[in-house]
Amino acid sequence: CSKQLDQTPVSSTTTGNFYSNANDFKQAVTGAYAQLNNFPEQALWLGEMRSDNINAVSDGNRDWDGINNFSTSIGSTTFISDAWQDNFNGIYNVNSVLEALDEKGSILTNTSLKTRYYGELYFLRAFYYFQLVKEFGQVPIVTTPVTVSEITQIPRSEVSDVYNLIVSDLKQAINILPATYDAADIGRATLGAANALAGQVYLTKSGPTYDINGPGINANQYDSASYYFDQVINSGTYSLQNNYTDIFSYTNENNSEVIFDVQAKSGTNGSAFPSYLVPVAYWVSLGISNSYGNGYGTSVFNITNNLKTSYEPSGTVQDIRDTFNINYTYKVSTFFKKYININYKGSNGKDWPINFIVLRYADILLMKAESILNGGTGSTAEALGYVNQIRARAGLSALTSLTISSLLEERRREFAGEGLRWNDLIREGQAVTTINSWIASDGLSSQISNATNNSILYPIPTAQISTSNGLYTQNPGY
Amino acid sequence: ALLSIQSKAQQDHINIQSILKGNIVDSASQVPLEGALINIEGTTNQTFTDNKGQFLIKTGQKLPYKVRVELVGYTTKHLEIYDTSTTITLQQKVDSSNDVVVIGYGTQKRKNLLGAQSTFDAKNIEEKPISRVEQALIGQLPGVQVRQQSGMPGAGLSILVRGSGSLSAGTEPLYVIDGFPLDVVSQGTNGSISNSPLNNLSPNDIESIQVLKDAAAGAIYGSRAANGVVLITTKRGKSGKAQISFNSNTGISSVAKKLDVLSPEDWIKQASAIADSNWVNSAPGRSASQTEAERIAILGTLNTSLVKDDRWAEPGHPGIQLVDWQNAIYRKALFQNYSLSASGGNDNVHYFIAGNYLNQDGTVIETNYKSYSLRANVEANVSKKLKIGINLAPSFSLNNAPPLEGKDNVLMHAAQYTPVVEDSAGLFTNAYSNDGYAWGSVKLINPYAYLKTSTNLNKITRNIASFYTEYTILPGLVARSTINYDGINRTLKTYVSDQVVVGALSARSSQPGYYSSGGYSGATIQNLVNENTINYNKSFNGGHAISFIAGESYNKVHAETFGLSTLGGYANDIVQTLNNAIVSASGETFSGSTTESNSVLISYYGRAQYSFNSKYLFSASIRKDGSSRFGSNNKWGTFPSLSFGWRISDENFFKNNIHFINDLKFRASWGKAGNNSIGNYNNVETYTSDPYSFGGNSSTAAPGMVVSGIANPNLKWETSNTYDLGFDLTAFSHRVNLTFDVYRKNSKDLLMNLPVLAASGFSTSLQNIGSMQTQGLEIGLNTITIKSGKFTWNTNANIAFNGNKVTSLGPNQDRIEISSAYSGSNAPYLLQVGKPIFSFLVTKMDGILTQQDIDNKVATTSKETVGDPKYYDANGDGKITADDRIIAGHPNPNYTWGLTNTFQYGEWDLSVQAYGQQGGKILSYLGRAIDFPGSTTANYLAVWKDAWSTSNPNYNAPRGKLNSSASVPYVTSNWLYSSDFWRIQNVTLGYSFRKLISTGVLKQARAYVALQNIFTKDHYDGGVNPEAQNTNNSGNSSYPLPGDYGAAPLSKTITLGFNLTF
Repeated sequence: CSKQLDQTPVSSTTTGNFYSNANDFKQAVTGAYAQLNNFPEQALWLGEMRSDNINAVSDGNRDWDGINNFSTSIGSTTFISDAWQDNFNGIYNVNSVLEALDEKGSILTNTSLKTRYYGELYFLRAFYYFQLVKEFGQVPIVTTPVTVSEITQIPRSEVSDVYNLIVSDLKQAINILPATYDAADIGRATLGAANALAGQVYLTKSGPTYDINGPGINANQYDSASYYFDQVINSGTYSLQNNYTDIFSYTNENNSEVIFDVQAKSGTNGSAFPSYLVPVAYWVSLGISNSYGNGYGTSVFNITNNLKTSYEPSGTVQDIRDTFNINYTYKVSTFFKKYININYKGSNGKDWPINFIVLRYADILLMKAESILNGGTGSTAEALGYVNQIRARAGLSALTSLTISSLLEERRREFAGEGLRWNDLIREGQAVTTINSWIASDGLSSQISNATNNSILYPIPTAQISTSNGLYTQNPGY
Repeated sequence: ALLSIQSKAQQDHINIQSILKGNIVDSASQVPLEGALINIEGTTNQTFTDNKGQFLIKTGQKLPYKVRVELVGYTTKHLEIYDTSTTITLQQKVDSSNDVVVIGYGTQKRKNLLGAQSTFDAKNIEEKPISRVEQALIGQLPGVQVRQQSGMPGAGLSILVRGSGSLSAGTEPLYVIDGFPLDVVSQGTNGSISNSPLNNLSPNDIESIQVLKDAAAGAIYGSRAANGVVLITTKRGKSGKAQISFNSNTGISSVAKKLDVLSPEDWIKQASAIADSNWVNSAPGRSASQTEAERIAILGTLNTSLVKDDRWAEPGHPGIQLVDWQNAIYRKALFQNYSLSASGGNDNVHYFIAGNYLNQDGTVIETNYKSYSLRANVEANVSKKLKIGINLAPSFSLNNAPPLEGKDNVLMHAAQYTPVVEDSAGLFTNAYSNDGYAWGSVKLINPYAYLKTSTNLNKITRNIASFYTEYTILPGLVARSTINYDGINRTLKTYVSDQVVVGALSARSSQPGYYSSGGYSGATIQNLVNENTINYNKSFNGGHAISFIAGESYNKVHAETFGLSTLGGYANDIVQTLNNAIVSASGETFSGSTTESNSVLISYYGRAQYSFNSKYLFSASIRKDGSSRFGSNNKWGTFPSLSFGWRISDENFFKNNIHFINDLKFRASWGKAGNNSIGNYNNVETYTSDPYSFGGNSSTAAPGMVVSGIANPNLKWETSNTYDLGFDLTAFSHRVNLTFDVYRKNSKDLLMNLPVLAASGFSTSLQNIGSMQTQGLEIGLNTITIKSGKFTWNTNANIAFNGNKVTSLGPNQDRIEISSAYSGSNAPYLLQVGKPIFSFLVTKMDGILTQQDIDNKVATTSKETVGDPKYYDANGDGKITADDRIIAGHPNPNYTWGLTNTFQYGEWDLSVQAYGQQGGKILSYLGRAIDFPGSTTANYLAVWKDAWSTSNPNYNAPRGKLNSSASVPYVTSNWLYSSDFWRIQNVTLGYSFRKLISTGVLKQARAYVALQNIFTKDHYDGGVNPEAQNTNNSGNSSYPLPGDYGAAPLSKTITLGFNLTF
């Protein structure tokens, strides 16, 4: 009769009965990808919102306010605590499947598939850790599933150690991952994605320290960055789209320019990001429900004058990226519109079927140029060539010389609204100076505090600090 | 004249007979009373009733006879009798110490009770216009707080016994109906109780309700008793003539309170001023005198925050109508309740059968609750030793309950909706083919059109069945076995037409039905309980009495849920079932899912009681529970209790000296009880689906599985140790009954979703870690305040003080701040050792900023100027930040009270019932949401009528100035309201038709008028009901904090009723 007390869930799979066949492993690996669904939130709210591309005006107290105006009390902001939790949850999922592959992987008779799973998982762990190190600097290193009490013994590791894990995971992934997949598996981590990420990792860790712990540690590994970018460029797998607008087409996903993206499908894992930086009333003005909005009432997400003028420095040449990226016709405010095509809207604002591009070929070309300018392998002519390819596609004339500043401005115009700007500035040591001069030039100093070196990293979520009971110390300035 | 002659003849005829015959029965049970004295007043003629309660007496007088009737233990009656045969009812004296009351697994004489137990005698329950059993208990019992968290008809009520004793597990008591423990159902995270164990039970079937408040009384129910146990006894038949009873109760309800928002005229006044000021400030050279057309011409568009409608100022407002949206959706509503029952029996069979029909319209249009319930309680004495019984209660209810309450639902919209519409659209503005009013907020849904169109139909079919056999093995030794089954089927059909929810006319008209939504969902819950007990009672010479019970029980609950909802729209509004659904743009029509779960509880229990001459009383009980909900390391728990009583009034030294006290008993008890309301399977690590997709342009969904959380194999129930001291006093010839209790309850191993380091992969883990303390004092007083001739005044008063504090939290005792929607990094709820649970942590408003304040550089938020609120800089750092939050009260009231006065004069009776609470606060999210003025498109709280302005620099203005651009701290004291209230819950005036009764055809005939919830005094200006709960304000399932985000007001009802008993 007492056996009756051992009830097992009827409607959920349990640890006891999972991993009993090959399909369980397939689903678990997919589960390790699923945390990518939350990545666009980090990219746009933490990467774009904090940059000089957006001057948001809040209609009350909104969670993104402090991110946008460099407040020092943002430790409980959901975007920040979500970023911490989501990436660590992704890492847990990876570790959990890695452990199962080690222990129960013999179920998998297809050994090449099993090997590929390892490669995908290493890539994903590196990806999640790279976000953490960019956002928070020092973070705990966890490479196996641990218990609640074990985790209280793992402090934040040195940034260099976190990079070591990321690089080691990426190198393992590079040894394993295929260059391409069959149509049905498009979206999985590829060799190109691992190489591109490795290049970006080396470029980032080579950045300046700002006298704080990460993400730049002055590693001066621009040669390594150049090496991995070359692997992508020379692979022949990728090429630029002829038209800028085609990159973001709802019917041209995973085009030749896309190296890695977050996949989306309405109804299962639809995207919310096309609605993030758009005023709610805009949807209503189109005649569709305000449930397509981001929920932030009458807040607006204005494009800064600074970015608008960047598109037309001389006022004569038409940069085709300008009006594609930015909506100027809506009367209330300007905003990023590049991801919007209401013909493909899902059931609400969190259900768009559009993928979020994380790494694209244009980004690799310009990052290669950036590593060259910083002294990495490659010639200035090569760097200039990449930049001019991008400019030509946008309808702009070729440059004859290149500086870090002009490269960053080109990247800003090319990747506006893609969540890269804030990290670009950090990487080249310009985060504080550029932001503060923008605040001054756009006359926003009454609304926005100046950025400081401490603004480079986000605070460790307050709840984590208090739960850690002294194990974690807060990043400086918060 | 003819009539009087006849009458005279008859009188003369009777005069010759000069006799009176009749019978005397107990007023409550209708049992014949033996040995009652009947005296013809003013004479020595008297007689006594025989063992059938009958008598015959020579009166020697003319009609009417004046008669006095006396019986020990009953109130003496003086009557005028107009007939030669009659039935006289006698009412028991208030000395009820020999009553038998139900306790866990048995009964006991009330005088020998040792636990803290409150009794509710359901005698007048059928006279109240109530639709649920819980409503009868409102304000009646000390320490039993029945919270009316919703004004929706048919909605379940939450009961808190001695305050809340848990942080995150359930706080609802265990309900036991006729010995059948029903499945414990916790409040939902939003405060609603959707599967209340009391759903569909007819209040008219209830005989009595006992609430076991302390652990000593409840410990016999072990792991489910920590929140108290409510024992409900339904009516049974008694030996004697069949009795048929008919009750009818019909009335009219209306809302007891409306939210105080600006009237349409006031709104127009303020919106005009706001638009003008915005306009003037928008560019140089603009003046308030510019007309609508002039401003539009300058702007090139109609910007509603800069332009006002010229018609607002025109006399009679041509072309537009002013609408009070609350008036538009509230109505006078009909209440009807009819019940018919028959009861009776002989030595072999007793029966009670009843049918009940209730039809209650809600005070909000399109809401309604209907319930049909039947009951058959039948018991057969098969032989002298064997008794078999069955209780059956099938029922069915229908509840039209649109989503009125909570964030962004109808009632919040009714408060906010722009109070102006175009004549052409009227109440259907921005619905169907009507465009919205240009100044109407596109974010809000027309509450009237929504109610008129949408469907939300809840159906509950329920069968409660108990079958029991009782066998007397030896005198005093009885074995009993019961099998109980409770089957609940609940379905919900929903439909929302896009013609009322889509903001843009173009979308409504171009693709009608495309954005309509609907669904069909439900649950089946099956609760099976088998209990087997053996019971021994014996009295010995010299006053010793012992009683033992031992038993075992097996309880299994199986639950299934299903849900189907549309992903696309509907082909049209006509057919609202899902076969009419159409595909969405992404090619999908429905989503659906089903779930199942099981839980098992196996228990062994026993109790021993001993008493000596009812003077020294002792009781001990123990229960051992095994539960499937807990971890493999903690399946079993043991729950003991001990209690002692001393009837000091039976001691000679007391008896001989103190005469005004009839009875005084001291009680002391300790007991341990558990709380297992934590949901199933939390001890098992499960996987959950987390889907992804692959395939780029032609992507396909890829099922992904991830671990859903950290399992805790050490999980166990929360345990509470309760210490209770009390006394029961009867004094002044049994006219005063006083019950007094003080208690302390230490709850430990509280189930808390404790924050864990998210680097583990998860942010919380369910652990038994916190502890808290609840203590209080309860006084219950019953008096016969005045008794003089035909007039009687009875008073029933109770008061209960209760306070709690957190005593430990997690391994480091760190305080836990619980954030809410829109609180950002300024979490407004606090758990901190030494403080009351869920204390409020807010930025305090401290008056209005003056120029002097500005000159003195007091701390302000950004952009604050003169006339804006002044906030309290708690840490004195010159800035208003999250660190300036201060503890500003707690949600639980410090005390609750109830007072019932009953007056009787001859055939008339009047009862007045009031109750209230004091000392708690509400953090109102409705109050917050509609506390922002400066909008030209939405309405807001009327407190803003008294706004600060340069022309009216009122430094006592409640909120500051209109249309301020200053930033407001996330949560301020302006959204904290006192939850104090007092309420006249019921006034009943009744008349008993004694003359009709005396004909013998009727045993009882009574008519009454009842006023329910007729008056409330509260201080809650940010909502309509200080007890409202409809939204989880923390937005967090670990620490759900149900609160008010727009509530249905309670109803006040006037009813007219009849009781007829044949």
